[in-house]
Amino acid sequence: MSKETKKPFRQSMAEWRQFIYNPNSGEFLGRTAKSWGLILLFYLVFYGFLAALFTFTMWVMLQTLSSDIPKYRDRISSPGLMISPKPDTALEFYFNRSDSQSYSEYVTTLQNFLESYNDSKQSQNIECTSGKIFDQSEAAVKKACRFNLSELGQCSGKEDANFGYSKGTPCVLVKMNRVIGLKPEGEPHIQCTPKEEGMVNINYFPPNGAMDLKYFPYYGKSLHAHYLQPLVAVQLAITPNGTKEEIAIECKILGSPNLKNQDERDKFLGRIAFKVLMSE
Amino acid sequence: MVKKRSDVYSVEIYGTKDLQKTEIEDEEEKHKDSKGNKKKKKAEDLKKELDLDDHRLNTSELEKKYGTSIDKGLSSARAAEILARDGPNALTPPKATPEIVKFLKQMIGGFSILLWIGAAFSWISFGIQLAQEVDSAFDNLYLGVVLALVVILTGIFAYYQEAKSTNIMASFSKMIPQQALVLRDAEKKELPADQLVVGDIVEIKGGDRIPADIRLISTQGCKVDNSSLTGESEPQSRSCEFTHENPLETRNIAFYSTTCVEGTATGIVINTGDRTIIGRIASLASGVGNEKTPIAIEIEHFVYLVAGVAISIGVLFFIISVSMRYKILDSIIFLIGIIVANVPEGLLATVTVSLSLTAKRMAKKNCLVKNLEAVETLGSTSIICSDKTGTLTQNRMTVAHLWFDNQIYSADTSEDQTTQPFDQSSPSWTALSKIVTLCNRAEFRPGQENLPIMKRVVVGDASETALLKFSEVILGDVMSIRAQNRKVAEIPFNSTNKFQLSIHETDDPHDKRFLLVMKGAPERILERCSTIMINGKEEPLDSEKAEAFQTAYMELGGMGERVLGFCHLYLPENEFPEGFQFDTDSMNFPTSNLCFVGLLSMIDPPRSTVPDAVSKCRSAGIKVIMVTGDHPITAKAIAKSVGIISATSETVEDIAKRLNIPVEQVNRREATAAVVNGMELKDMSSEQLDEILRGHSEIVFARTSPQQKLIIVEGCQRQGAVVAVTGDGVNDSPALKKADIGIAMGIAGSDAAKNAADMVLLDDNFASIVTGVEEGRLIFDNLKKTIAYTLTKNIAELCPFLIYIIASIPMPIGTITILFIDLGTDIIPSVALAYEKAESDIMNRRPRNKRKDRLVNQQLAVYSYLQIGIMQSVGAFVTYFTVYAEQGFLPSTLLGVRVDWESNAIQDFEDSYGQQWTKYQRTYLQWTGYTAFFVSITIQQVADLIIRKTRRNSIFRQGLFRNKVIWVGIFSQIGIALILTYGLGHVTALNFTPLRFQYWFVAVPFAILIWVYDEIRKLLIRRYPGRGTSPCCPSALTNGSEEHHPGRLKNNSEGKELLGPACSEIKFISTRANPDKEQQVLLVPRLFLNSPGEPKVSGLTFASGAREVRADNGAVVNKEVNV
Repeated sequence: MSKETKKPFRQSMAEWRQFIYNPNSGEFLGRTAKSWGLILLFYLVFYGFLAALFTFTMWVMLQTLSSDIPKYRDRISSPGLMISPKPDTALEFYFNRSDSQSYSEYVTTLQNFLESYNDSKQSQNIECTSGKIFDQSEAAVKKACRFNLSELGQCSGKEDANFGYSKGTPCVLVKMNRVIGLKPEGEPHIQCTPKEEGMVNINYFPPNGAMDLKYFPYYGKSLHAHYLQPLVAVQLAITPNGTKEEIAIECKILGSPNLKNQDERDKFLGRIAFKVLMSE
Repeated sequence: MVKKRSDVYSVEIYGTKDLQKTEIEDEEEKHKDSKGNKKKKKAEDLKKELDLDDHRLNTSELEKKYGTSIDKGLSSARAAEILARDGPNALTPPKATPEIVKFLKQMIGGFSILLWIGAAFSWISFGIQLAQEVDSAFDNLYLGVVLALVVILTGIFAYYQEAKSTNIMASFSKMIPQQALVLRDAEKKELPADQLVVGDIVEIKGGDRIPADIRLISTQGCKVDNSSLTGESEPQSRSCEFTHENPLETRNIAFYSTTCVEGTATGIVINTGDRTIIGRIASLASGVGNEKTPIAIEIEHFVYLVAGVAISIGVLFFIISVSMRYKILDSIIFLIGIIVANVPEGLLATVTVSLSLTAKRMAKKNCLVKNLEAVETLGSTSIICSDKTGTLTQNRMTVAHLWFDNQIYSADTSEDQTTQPFDQSSPSWTALSKIVTLCNRAEFRPGQENLPIMKRVVVGDASETALLKFSEVILGDVMSIRAQNRKVAEIPFNSTNKFQLSIHETDDPHDKRFLLVMKGAPERILERCSTIMINGKEEPLDSEKAEAFQTAYMELGGMGERVLGFCHLYLPENEFPEGFQFDTDSMNFPTSNLCFVGLLSMIDPPRSTVPDAVSKCRSAGIKVIMVTGDHPITAKAIAKSVGIISATSETVEDIAKRLNIPVEQVNRREATAAVVNGMELKDMSSEQLDEILRGHSEIVFARTSPQQKLIIVEGCQRQGAVVAVTGDGVNDSPALKKADIGIAMGIAGSDAAKNAADMVLLDDNFASIVTGVEEGRLIFDNLKKTIAYTLTKNIAELCPFLIYIIASIPMPIGTITILFIDLGTDIIPSVALAYEKAESDIMNRRPRNKRKDRLVNQQLAVYSYLQIGIMQSVGAFVTYFTVYAEQGFLPSTLLGVRVDWESNAIQDFEDSYGQQWTKYQRTYLQWTGYTAFFVSITIQQVADLIIRKTRRNSIFRQGLFRNKVIWVGIFSQIGIALILTYGLGHVTALNFTPLRFQYWFVAVPFAILIWVYDEIRKLLIRRYPGRGTSPCCPSALTNGSEEHHPGRLKNNSEGKELLGPACSEIKFISTRANPDKEQQVLLVPRLFLNSPGEPKVSGLTFASGAREVRADNGAVVNKEVNV
């Protein structure tokens, strides 16, 4: 059996060698250099043409787009909620109030995040009328409304550089995703509820977790370069009961009929859930 | 190989000698091949059983042995007992593969194994992700389940298709249950033949099929046709005497499945079912292995190719993604995606459907295909070994020529003759017709007045039947003519006299003479004549007239026809007055000095459709070889009349005769035709046979036994040919099995032959084979189109993965979406391509070369993958980027975002305009991207479908609307896409979303581009046919339309021009310099040859590989034209 198969194997090896390079005809992989060259040239031209065509059609398509606002905004009709700081692991805060190392990452994140809200950075921003949509659609240059850090009270980082983490009153900033042209109706405010009572007392800055309408609508990156989205600071005063317990908290945007917070599939649309576990 | 052959030979049953030889051979092989043990045992069994001694026993011994009574038969109870013991009297069909094995084969065959691997990987990654508590772990579980479902469903589908086609066959073989007349409980009963048991007393009569092996106990003039067993076509008489030691030779045994031709007989059943001789042979023959069909080889090749591409790209990108620091798990998921994208999941099912559609179409044209793959095999057939009788001919004797008044007249031999056109005014004809009518014992069975004459059933032998029908056609009611000329005496034909004689009163009331009419072997008849009738007058039979007779006799005989002489004599009234008592024993009447009237010759004429079919085969490059048990002269005559031997071609013997030199001196290469006698074949080595098969284009094998067919088939296969063989007898079954496609005759064929065959010709007509060939070639072409169509979009499915991995863009198309293309939108269009009409030249080109003309070749794969496929991908990506850009993600933003995009932790992903997206919002957008990508592929697949309609011709020539099914395909494609997008767009599991209407049109320019690009390619191919085969057939030969002009010869890519005004009239088979000598021949249609040896194409110069010019009938016109 093996005798029979060996011979053709040697033969087929020779055939393969012949196929890879045939010294007689100068053929490499069954074709001469010239033939390969022509094929290469053809594909160079062909793919070059396709690439050019692709680039051209993309260019044409991009020409139809405005640089200010996207053509369609139907896929983000309602904004999502997000928090800062954002723990690495699935929105779960674990820290030891007496160990500064355990929360330093949160503190740094908050400090960096609030950097852009410093007064020095907001010199161009104007004071707007509270409680009213700040419609600038007519204006060529869109102004950004000033967001004073002081509104975040104890969570502004001014009074407590550790944002309460060392005191057992950690701060979490809740922000709403930027969506171009979104004009919230009513009086939107953030409300957070712990899953179990008695473990945590929640304070809001600004009071009631209100999101002022003056920060809306957003006109997009290029027109509204200095825009700062409004923030709501949530201070979690963890009671001794709640210490060493995992506290699940859900924050929702309420008070505005056009901001969804009950979507079945999108768990972050107008709401956000996170957990806090503080030890001593 | 050697082993196989000897097994097959052991089927030859010419007596115990052969069987002993087999035995010895087997004994020898015992040492060589231990595997053969089982078969050896079978052969031994056969031998043992043939030692049966029933033929030696006398009646009472038989009664004792089988516990039966000749007068009463078995009792019903006893019969039932034996039936329970022995089983029914029927051949067990060849052992079928168990259904479960067939089913499992479908489950792991083809691409299934790749998909199973994909499913396994999915589950593995599900397991790992589950352990890691990743949210999206279940996606992989579902994907695995879906992949498994796909495999199982396509497997079930293929299994169902196969089962369905098997059932057609099964129902066919059960059509006519055989009945037998049995003596049981002292009563004669009609029983189904399968209820017979050993010891039953059965009665048979002429026309019956013998229901079991029977030891005869009483007979009356019984003759049996053992041709299905031994190949001997002469009926053999059967009696009760023990005449030979060999049970196969002795007269007192009749064998199962042979036919009783005439007479009656009673006998004891001695063997039933598989224990009969035929049963043994059938089971032995089923041991001959079936070769893989060409299409199976092609599909395997294709599967390997695609799987190779899938695996190598998959592994390559696995390595790339691992080295790009992707997680192993992610890389595995990519690998699954790549496999799924690369495997055309729906294709094998599509191929099955296409084949079964063709099988259905062929069944309508009287070709019943047992094995779906055989549909295509017929298309690649390069040699047909055909039977003569019944297949090429009408299987009935018919008067073909007449000779009277020193002149030969031709008679009409077509199947549905109603008149005879030859000159019937001569009084000699009147005399001859009278003899023909009167000197004939054949009679029509009553009650057939409404049937056409040629279809009526006649009681009588073949020649008399022919004469009866002939005279009925010309003269009208023969029976009343006979009644008017009352027969007064008769001597029937016997082998010593070699004549038949009868004496009649005449129908002329004034003529009281008796008329003596006689017919028989012409030389015997002539001996008895002293005068000959010329133009109604009796003239003395001088040597000159005798010479004329001889010439005519030789000529008719030379045409392979059976010649009969006719003479008459009006007995003088004075010697034989009215009421004379004729005594046939003492012969009290003259039987010499008669008046010779004429000759009639008969032949089994070719079917009228056959010459056309043979010439079609010829132009299709198929060699037709006639294999017959008949006499060489008859065989040659029929071969000539149907065109198997063309008019101008000669055999070695012909050349010798023409040049008047001994046969040995003839240059054998000059002879294009050969008639090989079975006796010569017996002594031939296989090299000699190869030499004959190679050296002659027109071959007739005469006087061959059915077993020799096998040798011929093997010889043809050694030439690398795909061989189709027709057969009907049991002994044909090894050859039928051995052939690439065995064709059994539906009417004349035995069950064993039908079992062994791949195809059954319901009308036994050769022309049906040619239709089959056409269908087979068409399906091969169309499968090529289907595969090209299907493969194209694989690239458009694959590219997204590759770019996703390399450029880290959001996933452009999902695995599930891909499955919806492969098994959804693409299925009906790819089946629709099976309905595509042929591209003009289908029967004008050579059979495909098994080794070179692959179903999927490099060109097809490269063109589909690297050209059209890439164009499709570009079109789909444009749509994809458009969708994202218009939603806020400009292409520049998308590059490199994969990790963040897919991160569940990032719910505020920023787009190009500063907006922030949650994960779900992004995912939903991603699904919209899937849908857009899917829609673009679908739209471009419409263009792909249209371009695949033809491979060379412009779409405008083929016609966009001729194949309506294509439009069904297109509408279904778009319809399914619409349903998926808008109807099921809200079912999240399917990953489809409703799509803005305009996105359907983004890819349209690319679809148009694909069409235009392909039209340009086709134009270039037509203009510059290049090295590929580019047959150019003369328009005049076909219907004269431009269509039949695919290759313009003046633009031969190799720069070889065919000049001269007659260029367009040349049938150009191939120009390529090919080691195969036959291809170096330029074939010129006979029509364009002014005179033999002088083609009209005189200005012809060409520098291709063609070295000689031949007329398309094979005659050499001009060798070594200026090269």
